[in-house]
Amino acid sequence: MMWQQFTPELYHFAAALLFTALSMTRRVDNRRDYWVALSLAGGGLIVCLAAVRAEGLLFLNTYKVDLFAQLFKVLLSMGLFLVVALCSELNGVARRWHSEFYLLLFTCTLAMMLLVSSVHLISIYVSLELSSYSLYVLVALRRDAAMGTQAALRYFLIGIFSSAIMLFGLALLYAATGLTYLSDLVQVLPGVIDQPLVLVAVVLTLGGFFFKLALFPFHFWAPDVYVGAPNQLAAFIATASKVAAVAVLLRVVAATGGQETLLVDSLAALAIISMTVGNLAALVQKDFKRLLAYSSIAQAGYVLIGILCMSPEGADAAIFYALALLLMKFTCFLAVVKIAADGGNPSLDALAGLHRRSPLLALALMMAVFALAGIPPTIGFTAKLLVFSAAMHKGYLVLVLIAMFNVVISLYYYLLIVKAAYLTEPAVETPAPVLSLSARALTTALIIAIVVVGFYPNPLIVMARQASSSLF
Amino acid sequence: MTQLIQPQIVWTAAMSAMFLPLIAFGLILLITHRWARVSAALAIVAAGASLACSVYLLATLHDVQIPLRSTQTWMMTSDFRITFGYLLDPLSLLMLVIVAAISLLVQVYSLGYMTGDPGFARYYAFLSLFAWAMLSLTLAPNLLQLYIFWELVGLSSYLLIGFWYEKFSASEAGKKAFVMTRLGDVAFFLGILLLLMNLGNLDILRLNAPETTDRLSPGLLTTAALLIFGGIVGKSAQFPLLTWLPDAMEGPTPVSALLHSATMVAAGVFLLARLFPFFNASPTAMSVCLAIGAISMLMAATMAMVADDIKQVWAYSTISQLGLMIMALGAGGYAAGVFHLTTHAGFKALLFLCAGIFIHAFGTNDMFTIGQAGARKRRIPMICLIVAAAALAGVPPFSGFFSKELIMARLADHPNPLWLIVGLLGVWLTAYYTFRLIFVMLRPRPGVIPQTAEGHAHHGAHRFAEGAMNVVVLLLAVVAIVLGWFEKPISAFIVAPHSALAATGGHHAWLLWVTLALAASGVALAWLEFGRRTATQKGFVEKMPALQTLFANRWYLDRLYRRLLDDGIYRGLSRLCAKNDQKVIDAGLDELAGGTVASGRMIHGLHAGMIQYKLLTISIALGLLGIYLLF
Repeated sequence: MMWQQFTPELYHFAAALLFTALSMTRRVDNRRDYWVALSLAGGGLIVCLAAVRAEGLLFLNTYKVDLFAQLFKVLLSMGLFLVVALCSELNGVARRWHSEFYLLLFTCTLAMMLLVSSVHLISIYVSLELSSYSLYVLVALRRDAAMGTQAALRYFLIGIFSSAIMLFGLALLYAATGLTYLSDLVQVLPGVIDQPLVLVAVVLTLGGFFFKLALFPFHFWAPDVYVGAPNQLAAFIATASKVAAVAVLLRVVAATGGQETLLVDSLAALAIISMTVGNLAALVQKDFKRLLAYSSIAQAGYVLIGILCMSPEGADAAIFYALALLLMKFTCFLAVVKIAADGGNPSLDALAGLHRRSPLLALALMMAVFALAGIPPTIGFTAKLLVFSAAMHKGYLVLVLIAMFNVVISLYYYLLIVKAAYLTEPAVETPAPVLSLSARALTTALIIAIVVVGFYPNPLIVMARQASSSLF
Repeated sequence: MTQLIQPQIVWTAAMSAMFLPLIAFGLILLITHRWARVSAALAIVAAGASLACSVYLLATLHDVQIPLRSTQTWMMTSDFRITFGYLLDPLSLLMLVIVAAISLLVQVYSLGYMTGDPGFARYYAFLSLFAWAMLSLTLAPNLLQLYIFWELVGLSSYLLIGFWYEKFSASEAGKKAFVMTRLGDVAFFLGILLLLMNLGNLDILRLNAPETTDRLSPGLLTTAALLIFGGIVGKSAQFPLLTWLPDAMEGPTPVSALLHSATMVAAGVFLLARLFPFFNASPTAMSVCLAIGAISMLMAATMAMVADDIKQVWAYSTISQLGLMIMALGAGGYAAGVFHLTTHAGFKALLFLCAGIFIHAFGTNDMFTIGQAGARKRRIPMICLIVAAAALAGVPPFSGFFSKELIMARLADHPNPLWLIVGLLGVWLTAYYTFRLIFVMLRPRPGVIPQTAEGHAHHGAHRFAEGAMNVVVLLLAVVAIVLGWFEKPISAFIVAPHSALAATGGHHAWLLWVTLALAASGVALAWLEFGRRTATQKGFVEKMPALQTLFANRWYLDRLYRRLLDDGIYRGLSRLCAKNDQKVIDAGLDELAGGTVASGRMIHGLHAGMIQYKLLTISIALGLLGIYLLF
């Protein structure tokens, strides 16, 4: 039956409904909300894992359940679970809005799950908008209302701008081909991709996803939103949201056939500008979250290299990179959340002396930062290696060289973080971040995952290969 | 016979011989470093087991004709292949036993010598490391593996020479030894790379095979051989890199014994023997060996003639004897060179260990003072010292006599008579300076008996430990006496794989008498000048001030090197490099980094603008993209 294949989405929909009900009760009980959310998110992860081998086409063939989509659903539910696990002290959000916060998180996850499975232009657009709108509202939930609203407004403005551009692109695409199903477009697009109209249509369509991925020129929201959003939400945007964007980009870009050099060139240009802008701007940041935002922009550039290869290796690399980003960025935000116990925005100086206040957290942060910088033997190194070797395989030597230069530049600010955590002495003694037993376990697990997957990535690469085989 | 040998057991024995000392090293450093006795016991047990395995291997494999190899591929590219494993042939088996035996004896001896030293456990850890490195070097089947352990040998010597690192001269000596041998190692490594690039493998057996040497052009072969010889010059302290060895006596005396007999300096000669057929293919390289060996032998012998420090005399004699071995090998005397290496290991260890007993007891290195303090009342070490000295001087029937005889016969076969004359001169000098020391100690000048409390004196040391020292020297003395009688079987055993090279020379009956006469005249002159009741105890060299200063200053080699270093390197090259580093590289990098940060600031500024400008930027970017795509 087709509904069985739809179980993960239904499950998250039900969870969102439950929080709708909870938000309408009079009693405000944050502990209850947290535990309910955590168990539901954990259940969601299990459901997604159980459904990983499901296959099928639903809803008049607009919805494709395959290994690729299911794998990304696992990543999304994992991201959700991890982010909810951080919410035990949700100080960035006013107490009475906690159930709404979870409601929107689950809705957004649901929307992104729909997004990774959609194979019809309209359903892609609708699920993209659903996930974006949940996030706009979530950003505005910040307790410091002025900050939250401002960030949300900027997010919203840039979001609708890129939506408009994407819609224009979709319209052009329909005008040029008369098709809306990706499965049909795969047949037709490679033949007509050399027409300027189709090219423009494709690039404008991709704009909507670039917005999700925070890729130049749609990246302007990222610094403001990372800083303005509650820390846990920033973690969600930096991890789950990026994973979904990678998935849908892979699907749509793969549909173009990969023969058009103009398209590859423009994507490469965007990747280069994106990583250069992100890395250079990150150099001078003082605020930890703003720095992470720029680093995300740069990382988006690296992922795009894997995507623009439009080869099986490139897709594998991008999938692996998405997983790596999920782990690395989440670990960074774990540190952010734990350091800023009051829900504020930590500056880099707040990291001073972290290695004495909380050795475990400092170690996790260092590993994550090393991984982001691509230092072996971490997951980030393997991810970069895969992406770059996929690009080299296609012969994009200059692109890889520029990316390498960018990696060197990025090393500077990544090491600044390590320096702040390990070498700088704090000007004033701040209390040690509180890490509960489960938080310790989570941190340790993340450290181990970052190192072990870096050492032994093969099972995941095999998994990514199976998933991407349906794309090409 | 071959099928009776079980490869599994051989493998296990070889691996245990190699790795037991390493395990001891690790255990001592990690776990037992607080308990001195336990650490020493661990090290000694490991060395003993190593020796047992080595002896077993020698006993099992002594009549196997084909060398045994066991290798695992470590690194493979399309151009070359590097393996790790071991190679068991007569040379490596013999050397393995020597190294294991001397290591064990030195470790037992050190029980007494190092009693009460605060670094006792560390000392045994380093000795184990040393033993491991040298044993593995011995068994290395290819040049890269050999080179790795070659460097480890250098490292452990550095650690042991500078063992009393709180003493400035000791840490300086350690550094000097390390740096000077490294200088030779650079050449060695270049040689390895040259061979790797041209042959694609570094397997010793293959290098020694005539097919390989025929494949290389003569020029290339000579270059590679000479580069490798550079490493040997450094390791075996040959001219011009000989000045580190006399300083190396700053380490504890048992370390010197180890360093001068079976490990470190012996590694150089071992390598030459290991690659003997390879070197033999290049006549130029062989001549260079002869010349360098001869120069080092004579130079070091002259230095030994005027030294007053007992350890220094033995250090010079080591250089000189190693020079003799290299001459022997250079003259094509494979068996002669290796046999002299074997006998030398025994009596040189004995010389140092006996000297150690005196130094331990009297707290001084000066031979005159030791003599006055009553060295001859200590019967056991004194007799052992005389036995060893006789062996060194080539007096029959001690072991050195036989091996020197072999070498001289080989030199006599060489078409150029110069080498034989040099060799005989060396024999005479050796006999003279050796017995100079013996007579000085036996016949002390009447004088004030100094109260020696300073230096390395441990009075009231452990009875058992003192006994251990005596047992060790007695054992070695027995070896020095009897080893010579095994000349025929050992030579035959070593030469077996190289039967093609073992051309038997003519018989030189007259040579035997000449050598004996020279040795006797050396001893006699020493007796005249130092041993007689009325002797002035002033050597003939000391009566010639110019020579005396030249020899005592080590032919000014150290000063020359110092000058070269100060003027050539520090003032010239280093300063240029430092300027380039500061003005060009650093400044350039600073500019680059500054520029990068400045552009970062600029881009950051762009992101601070109002939302309208951002939307405008998106539009412009897309517009440009559109223009690019459309046109």
